[in-house]
Amino acid sequence: MSARSLVENIVTNARRRPAAPALAWRGDTVGYGELLRMAGDARARIASLGLAEGAPVGVLAPKSPAAIALILACLLEHRPFLLPSVDLAERTLERLFEVAGCQAVLTADDPIGQASVLTSPRSRPEAITFMLTTSGSTGLPKVVPLTEGAVDRFTDWAGEAFGLGPDSAVLNFSPLNFDLCLLDVWATLKHGGCVVLVDPDRATSSGYLRSLLAEHGVTVVQAVPMFYQLIAGATDKAFPRVEHVVITGDSIAERCLAAIPGLFPRARLYNLYGCTETNDSLIHELDPAALPQGSVPLGEPLPGVDALVVDAGGAVLTGPGDGELFVHTPFQTTGYAPPTPNDRFTAHPAGAGDHTYFRTGDLVRREPDGSLMLLGRNDFHVKVRGVRTNLQEVERVLAGHDGIAEVAVVAVPDPIGGHRLHAELRRAQGEAGGAVNSLLLKEFCAGSLPRTAIPSTIRITDEPLPRTSTGKPDRQLLIRANTQKG
Amino acid sequence: MDHIDTIRRFVVEEFLPDVSPESLAADYDLLAGGVIDSLGLLKVIAWLENRFGLAVDDIELEPDAFRSIAAISDFIVRVATPARSI
Repeated sequence: MSARSLVENIVTNARRRPAAPALAWRGDTVGYGELLRMAGDARARIASLGLAEGAPVGVLAPKSPAAIALILACLLEHRPFLLPSVDLAERTLERLFEVAGCQAVLTADDPIGQASVLTSPRSRPEAITFMLTTSGSTGLPKVVPLTEGAVDRFTDWAGEAFGLGPDSAVLNFSPLNFDLCLLDVWATLKHGGCVVLVDPDRATSSGYLRSLLAEHGVTVVQAVPMFYQLIAGATDKAFPRVEHVVITGDSIAERCLAAIPGLFPRARLYNLYGCTETNDSLIHELDPAALPQGSVPLGEPLPGVDALVVDAGGAVLTGPGDGELFVHTPFQTTGYAPPTPNDRFTAHPAGAGDHTYFRTGDLVRREPDGSLMLLGRNDFHVKVRGVRTNLQEVERVLAGHDGIAEVAVVAVPDPIGGHRLHAELRRAQGEAGGAVNSLLLKEFCAGSLPRTAIPSTIRITDEPLPRTSTGKPDRQLLIRANTQKG
Repeated sequence: MDHIDTIRRFVVEEFLPDVSPESLAADYDLLAGGVIDSLGLLKVIAWLENRFGLAVDDIELEPDAFRSIAAISDFIVRVATPARSI
């Protein structure tokens, strides 16, 4: 059966129930009819640019109903659009738009044009629609194009898995450029529910987050562990209307996980694992009465997903064992644009079938019962406040500073953020080295790194960095030394 | 009165322990300069609650209020003495 079209469904929702709330934002709601009207205005603005049919555009808009209407306009136009983080450095954004072939960059506060007549949208399953980006902590994030078919299939799955419908109120915690929005914003709109948008300016205020949950009768919550840590706090308040709680693949502190059943006494609880490149791939439903000690299982493949465990020798494990996780999903990208040499898309290692698999870089253990556990990464990636960050790339940026002789960047476990970055460095001799301090170095990082990749703590010494017996920086020692503090 | 020196001492101690306080200007952009991230913001808020007894949970929080030492000082004055604010 072919998937239903995201954009056709949203248009149908707007025609059938124009007054039904689509978005809740800063105390107001925007109905489906109003949202479609705003999208029509945005389409008129795009039309006035005179772009060729199917020419990609960039969408650079912080979270707001106008930004969602702008994205909806691109969906209605069947026009590919790049959706980068608005927090990227200006130079990075310029290069990204160039790489993705964007003919124009749209923002949510361009002048309003004349509303155009909405023609009935035709679904084009093979056409590119959303272009997300990897979080590439420096240099250029990679562009991850998704086809309309991939988004349609994903939003169908999400609707079914979490019972999305007109009575659903779904919290959206993450920024609009995150892949998580395909579930909490776009699957919700497809199925006629209301998206309760968390204002990014207030996303760290626990009182605000709790009041959003209560006042809007939120029924589905998907968020990074930081969100749950924020609302747990010193409160015995519970949210009994929440039916589904989704934590996303990060490691979550045991204490934080333990608070969730009390906060959401009637909710089913899931761990959902995915990458930007593949979208959600594995799911594990947790029993609130018997939460795991230690790590949470990644669980089982979603319908249509093929998950392989590939050992160090490149052999596909058929039974229990440890290896790198490869996944093929019905929701995955067509590959980075432009393709990069030696990238992580590959055929089945043993030549079985003609699926393309994504090498996730995650090391997993397959248990005898078939469920998968996350062991760690086989590279230098960690998640910092939900954003995948490459430690080596942060090191490379710092090593480019004249005043630094050597540097190691490690991720230190943090109960709220998941991880925080610590940089340990030896300064260069002479004037350039004498001048460095953490204020200058943070500013230096801010010039080319996203905020989440700027080390929270920086220690400057004149001593050589601690080394392991093989001569590599002793990262474990640095992690231990910096975990004890605070 | 303002709280510039108290805040400067806290910010330097917490986020820039190797930096001499006088090298951090009161109008330096702490967010753009990468000194305070969203976790750092939580620390600042917790400190404001403890040090100045502000119930920050109930107050409209804009990141702009924490953009610089001067802005934090203004924020404290504004929140602590609502009757005198304009």
